[in-house]
Amino acid sequence: MSKEIAVIGSGDFTTGFRLAGVRKFANVPAEPDREEMDAAVTELLEDSEVGIIVMHEPDLEHLSREVRERVETSVDPVLVTLGGGAGSGGLRDQIKRAIGIDLMEEDEQS
Amino acid sequence: MAQDVKPTRKNLMQIEDRIELSERGHDTLEKKRDGLIMEFMDILDQAQDVRADLEDTYEDAQERIDMARAMDGDVAVRGAAAALKEHPEISTQSKNIMGVVVPQIESTKVRKSLDERGYGVLGTSARIDEVAESYEKLLEQIILAAEVETAMKELLEEIETTKRRVNALEFTLLPQLNENKEYIEQKLEEQEREEIFRMKKIKANKEAAEKEEREAAREAEQAATQ
Repeated sequence: MSKEIAVIGSGDFTTGFRLAGVRKFANVPAEPDREEMDAAVTELLEDSEVGIIVMHEPDLEHLSREVRERVETSVDPVLVTLGGGAGSGGLRDQIKRAIGIDLMEEDEQS
Repeated sequence: MAQDVKPTRKNLMQIEDRIELSERGHDTLEKKRDGLIMEFMDILDQAQDVRADLEDTYEDAQERIDMARAMDGDVAVRGAAAALKEHPEISTQSKNIMGVVVPQIESTKVRKSLDERGYGVLGTSARIDEVAESYEKLLEQIILAAEVETAMKELLEEIETTKRRVNALEFTLLPQLNENKEYIEQKLEEQEREEIFRMKKIKANKEAAEKEEREAAREAEQAATQ
């Protein structure tokens, strides 16, 4: 079962990945409106050929709450965000909830 | 809740069996939870290393592409990007950590040599090659990060369910069962005491009746002799 990597982001963001050979990408304007972003992400989430979705961390802010939660908790495809520092992608909240301690915060201080 | 059970010996035995089973289950689940958390700590360390590398590589790659854009022009970079023929592919296999299935992602065709990239070597500058190379490296690390972070998500979910089960047993089911057990035990004891008292009462009645009979008999005897 072979899958592909998909990139969602502004034209500047996706160009580099296309140079590395990523075929599936969705270009959204630098200041995208919510619906456009939602549509792009939902489409890739439902694409069975996509194994990993790469996004720029600030772009997550443009997603509607529902889609954002869906993409953050999704395992297949899994979301990897760039440019957000540690503890991005909702993982930090999940850790806090499951373990009861904010493990990420501790590591930021050290 | 205690009033819902009938205070019979059979129920008491059933409840005792259930308590034993629940306690065993509770211990096992607790061990599982601790084991999962230990596994999770290992992965967390790994994930944080991978994350840090990823961010570094991303910044590096961004710098390079900005440079290429500035020197060669946006059109050249976009043109080269559109010409790519080989596409990276990933395939997933699964690995089992304490009953949690986590993916292991294998990638192919991420790193490409110059002639595999598909854009003309003559028409483009070395800067674009550098950009392509650094993004290939970035992709590799993204794949690694995806693997580790998926494993983390799966583990966290499992930890959450296990924790919830442990707590449900410890704070809801076991106290309830113990309460029921105590209720039945007390009720049975009370019944026993009532029974003893009743026996004593019956015995006393019986003795009184016998005494009366004996006295009546003696009176009758005395009446007969007179």
